Amino acid sequence: MANRKVPHLKFNLIVRRTHLYLGIFLLPWFLMYSISSLPFSHRSYLDAYYDDGTPLWVSRWEGNYYIPLDTETDHRKIGAQVMQEFDLEGSFGTYQPAPDQLAIYIYDFWNATQVRYFHDEKRLVIQDRRFRWDHFLTGMHARGGFQQASFLADLWAVIVDIVCVAMMTWVASGLYMWWQLKSVRRSGALVILSGTLSFVLFLFLL
Amino acid sequence: MNFSRIVRRTHMYLGLFFGPWILMYALSTVVMNHRDWVSSFYPETVPFVTESELTRRISFPEEASPAEQGRLVLQALNMEGAFSARRTEEGKLVILRNHPVHPRRITYETESGHLQVEQQPFEAPRFLERMHRRRGFQQDYLLEDVWALSVDLVILTMVVWAFSGAWMWWELKTTRLWGISCLVFGFGLFAFFLLTI
Repeated sequence: MANRKVPHLKFNLIVRRTHLYLGIFLLPWFLMYSISSLPFSHRSYLDAYYDDGTPLWVSRWEGNYYIPLDTETDHRKIGAQVMQEFDLEGSFGTYQPAPDQLAIYIYDFWNATQVRYFHDEKRLVIQDRRFRWDHFLTGMHARGGFQQASFLADLWAVIVDIVCVAMMTWVASGLYMWWQLKSVRRSGALVILSGTLSFVLFLFLL
Repeated sequence: MNFSRIVRRTHMYLGLFFGPWILMYALSTVVMNHRDWVSSFYPETVPFVTESELTRRISFPEEASPAEQGRLVLQALNMEGAFSARRTEEGKLVILRNHPVHPRRITYETESGHLQVEQQPFEAPRFLERMHRRRGFQQDYLLEDVWALSVDLVILTMVVWAFSGAWMWWELKTTRLWGISCLVFGFGLFAFFLLTI
């Protein structure tokens, strides 16, 4: 009988330790994702807080420039060329705010720069964004993906995946640990039911 | 009940209640982190499918904004909830009703009273991303505010989990050494990222 109990106890311990050590290792990410969600939820409050007359974007360079902007243009390639020419570094993304415009958004955790190209005027504008703590947090929160040609950016994206897997693991291992505590099975089941029901109701009523 | 037990039970019950939110945020983050790969399984755009067409005269107050007009149209259709509205160049009122599962587009022609209700077919990645981005108190609907409140509660819960988890770990003396190693490695890696990317 004792021998049959050993694997169960071992599994129990593995579940508990996985839950614990994942939590401790990923604590900075976990705290970052929670705290950085607040500026997303309360954007207007923070915009009002920072509404002190300081412009959000400050011009760094402005002048004549030419980019062959047509349907064949590889925007990322153009973006990389412009960044090299103007000595801009960091992760970047490109988009077209209007058919005759190209925007390159360059960022790291602390700074953000935008390059706007106006094809009709053959004009390029480079602007730096003022530092704001809410932008710092939301920038970190939104960071992810494997589009950048940087090993460290990819590594960050891998950690984001690990955080996601950890979150699912915490839910599954948490359920397992709850089931082990016989005295709270009924109350726990009621809480699970009310949480799941609330979530499903939101899905259909929102 | 002693303090340690209160901490443990709070940690557990919060987890049991907010499990669906956490799963939704985890799955939607995977979708967004692998957007190109996930998108490759789905068509680039999901066309709206006409659900119904009808004629109904809806009167708007003078100088009502597209948002106010949109609210009245949704009210008339009994489809109230989060939305955005705009006027097209042809004068049509286009309302996007941001339903989590079935987003709808309602086009209203003021002159003729013609209403077209279209629905976007369900797609799991888009649904997850919509849920992930749903937050804030900017909509004039009580239920939207309740959802936004639930998001704030999830945020608060995550902070509570972090601190209660740290508390429970410290109580387990045998795990302190490995725990400190994980903590130092985790914070060290995070700080490294902060300074390098």
